Amino acid sequence: MMGTLSYLVFFVTVASLFAIATLGLNLQWGFSGQFNAGVVGFMAIGAYTYAALTAPAQHEHVGGLDWPVIAALVAAMAVTALVALAIGLVTIRLRTDYLALATFGIAAAINHLALNLEGITGGGRGIAGIAKPFADLPPLWFGLAFLALAAGALLAVYLLLERLVRSPWGRALRAVREDEVAAAALGKDVDRMRLTAFVIGAAPMGLSGALYAAFIGYVSPYDFLAILTFQIWAMLIVGGSGNNAGAVLGSFVVWALWSLSGIVVVLIVPTKLQVQGGAIQAILIGLLLVAMLIFRPRGLMGERLHSSPLLRDDAAVRH
Amino acid sequence: MKTRFMLAAASALGLMLAGNAAMAQGAAPSCPIKLGAIIPLTGPQGPIGKPIADTAQLAVEHVNAAGGVKGCPIEMVLRDDTGQPTLGVDAARYLVDVQKVPAIVGVVGSGIATAIVSAVTTSAKVPMVSCCAVTPTLTRLSEEGKTGGYFFRTIPTSRVFAVAHAVAATDRGYKNPVVIYVNNDFGSALLRDLEKAIGTLGGKIAGAIPYNENQPSYRTEVNQALALKGDALILIAFSQDGATLAREWISLGGTQNLVLHNTLRSQDFISAVGARFLTKAAGIDNAQVAGASVDAFNAGFKAKFNRDPVGPGLHTVYDSAVVTALAMQQAATLDGTAIRDALRQVQDPAGEVVVPGVEGIKKSLEAIKAGRKVRYVGATGPFTFDKNGDVTGPALVWKVEDGKLVTDKVIDLEQMTALFKRIGY
Amino acid sequence: MIAQLVIDGLLTGAVIALGAIGITLGLAILRFANFGYAELMTVGGYAALTAVLAYGGTGAPLGPFSFGGFLAVALAVGLVVTALVAVASDVVVFRPLRRRGAGPLVLIFASFGLALVLRHVVLLIFGTQPEYYSREIQMAVLLPGDVRVMPDQLLVLAITVLALVALWWLLNHTRMGLAMRAVAENTPLARACAIDPEMAIRWTWIVSGALGALAGTLFGLTVQLRPEMGANLLLPLFTAAVLGGVGSIPGAVIGGLLVGLAENLSVLVLPTSYKATVPFLIMLACFLLRPKGLFGK
Repeated sequence: MMGTLSYLVFFVTVASLFAIATLGLNLQWGFSGQFNAGVVGFMAIGAYTYAALTAPAQHEHVGGLDWPVIAALVAAMAVTALVALAIGLVTIRLRTDYLALATFGIAAAINHLALNLEGITGGGRGIAGIAKPFADLPPLWFGLAFLALAAGALLAVYLLLERLVRSPWGRALRAVREDEVAAAALGKDVDRMRLTAFVIGAAPMGLSGALYAAFIGYVSPYDFLAILTFQIWAMLIVGGSGNNAGAVLGSFVVWALWSLSGIVVVLIVPTKLQVQGGAIQAILIGLLLVAMLIFRPRGLMGERLHSSPLLRDDAAVRH
Repeated sequence: MKTRFMLAAASALGLMLAGNAAMAQGAAPSCPIKLGAIIPLTGPQGPIGKPIADTAQLAVEHVNAAGGVKGCPIEMVLRDDTGQPTLGVDAARYLVDVQKVPAIVGVVGSGIATAIVSAVTTSAKVPMVSCCAVTPTLTRLSEEGKTGGYFFRTIPTSRVFAVAHAVAATDRGYKNPVVIYVNNDFGSALLRDLEKAIGTLGGKIAGAIPYNENQPSYRTEVNQALALKGDALILIAFSQDGATLAREWISLGGTQNLVLHNTLRSQDFISAVGARFLTKAAGIDNAQVAGASVDAFNAGFKAKFNRDPVGPGLHTVYDSAVVTALAMQQAATLDGTAIRDALRQVQDPAGEVVVPGVEGIKKSLEAIKAGRKVRYVGATGPFTFDKNGDVTGPALVWKVEDGKLVTDKVIDLEQMTALFKRIGY
Repeated sequence: MIAQLVIDGLLTGAVIALGAIGITLGLAILRFANFGYAELMTVGGYAALTAVLAYGGTGAPLGPFSFGGFLAVALAVGLVVTALVAVASDVVVFRPLRRRGAGPLVLIFASFGLALVLRHVVLLIFGTQPEYYSREIQMAVLLPGDVRVMPDQLLVLAITVLALVALWWLLNHTRMGLAMRAVAENTPLARACAIDPEMAIRWTWIVSGALGALAGTLFGLTVQLRPEMGANLLLPLFTAAVLGGVGSIPGAVIGGLLVGLAENLSVLVLPTSYKATVPFLIMLACFLLRPKGLFGK
């Protein structure tokens, strides 16, 4: 039973890390309608920043800076936000599907840089020996302590984002999403709001990547392939975009399906047929997503309607 | 929908727990003994992973036919990592925590192996015997004591390949070969070692062109390499890309003086490129020296799959599974640390030589049970784990004759060690 | 060297151009970026392969080419099968979403999911090993200027030109083409003129599916068939479509050729390991300097 508990602790930790990134995406897409198809690029920046600041000195790449964990996590978020700002300034005026293409390409480019900038990223070999917090504890305690860190970070991001989207700024952001022209007519600086949401949304992705690096202790370009972007998106869509609790729930559900379906394949499919099992798994996940979009477009938990109680009667009258 | 969704998730979880409960019930005699395996079955490495998984299963069948470990049959619990490190780590955690496997074999991708060592096996004190991860990063981690001695591999490090490439090229009188190599940890580490090896053996690389995996076409890379006007091409590529690169190289009039990497040692590659263009080609691979132990494996493989065991990782995965099983037999308890130490004991230089195949494994299991020392000489020939869990092994040079792969030359362990010294690794 | 790179760029660009037309039609008429489009190339390539395997090869090689006459039949099979798959994907996935008034981004995401399904179905059926229509390797012919090309590639170029002419005729001289163009310009207005937008959409899927199959088959002929081939071409295809300007077919063609050229010429200044980043850099530059593309309206 201890074993299952230990695995569950691990599972919840990984799902929490994904949930942090999904929350960031929810601010970008769910609340401000910006299609970021390069989530994995921002996670990679966070992970590599954390790795570069904490990994021991090596002759192949930079290291030996020995930053404390918290400082490195904050720096990872800051660097990711800065990169997002630069990307946002370039792409902010793009129509939405162009933004998807641009960010998709940016993630591919970041992966190429990770593979080729050996002096910073270690190239294909990656960066090993990254500082893990709580590394001195016995394994199960390490797992629990890291779970506390991951869940704490998730809770903090959740609360901050909830506060943000309920604020007047958050309401204005949704107004921008629904109708840019009308929002602009009401005196909102549309570009600035979108850019701010893009940058704030990128920071949790960087945090997620950095925590992942801290959890595993190793990063390589193979950690940040396009499939991960797809997984994060699946989490948001399944959970329900525009709802932060839904984003968290979606992360847990989708990651459970993704990893448990592998376990189920182990348990029920004979070893001989498992190659086909893997392909069928991918097909089922694809079908699930499409079915979700068609039959339950708002996800497990759709967006809650936020309106001031004072306005509610008004709205009823108008309808 | 929501409830159905939850139900699905809950039933999946239930299945997992049921598997666990079933295991706990059988825990008294602890039969069968579980052996974890993590191998990519889908994704970019799927084509090489599938035969590797089959061969690992063959090794387990051999051990079981030989009577099993401590009187118990072994059950291989296989997980697909799909080439994604996150899933590889998840698989390792699941195998270690829920399935309670005392050791893990397989693990093809270097990035995945390093992530698992770093996040799971070292802290859980579970030995991992990789069949295929060649990255020098793991050697460095071992040297720094960050693997706790729980990491082993049955595939030689990239240096053995580098020496083999250099020997194959210089034997054929190639002085200025061009290299096209895959731009990842394995390719770039190999290139560095290769430059040194070829320099020592009296050649000089005319130039090296990296290529990224999964590009739609490699014509540009091939043209760049052609422009270097070398007298041969050393091609370090994975199977699918390798076929494209070799076809384009030959089409565009490149020399047919090819030196091919072990990933291309397959009938698929020969039929994709065409045997008539490969008459002058040479290739390299680790180990598989001639000898009783290799023949025993080859015969066992052929009996099962009705073809010759040709392809990357087959011999090494067999050895990783068998040597782990022998170590389990040797270890006083089925505890990761005991198995870690036993992995070296079953390679006792003074021990009785034992070989692959049901008969050989049966003899070794019995010898160990009787308290005699054994030395496992495997499908890859004789090999010994060094202090970092690495092996230096013999290598071979192959060529294509009448459309078939044949062994041209063997660089045995002594020659290899001498060459290492001469090159100054 | 440069002449060789230019020729290679044009040859690669021709296949990209064919695929980019499908994308640009999708962007203009279906009004979303179909990330699953490239998978139609894979489907087309493999459908043609199925025919070749069933026949037992492509027949005796024709003249200097690597394949026999049966490849034309296989290509026709590929065109039909892919057009059917394209229409089916619309009926099953995109039409229900459209009816519900889903935004373009939901459609994009659905196309991601569909791509995953199609790719793995191909993988499930055909396995992961690369496949070829003909295992014959052809020797390149040496053209003046030390340029080497393969006869197959020249044929690919010729077929691309023919396909473009046929497409131009289709769009400009048939009722169906007129309807498609009308819907691309202004859907409500088209509807007011008694043009059924659903019909135009159906034809768009058929035409773009067929073009995808053609591109996939030609790609398989000159490189190889792999389940991931479409996914690997996605970025160049979109770059070409965006560079040319949404909805502009000549734009997509020129965009495709430019992307092919830029990728190949980039090695003069960048290491080859950065080659795959080049299409993306072009796309970003295009977004910045001329967001409507070269020929956009």
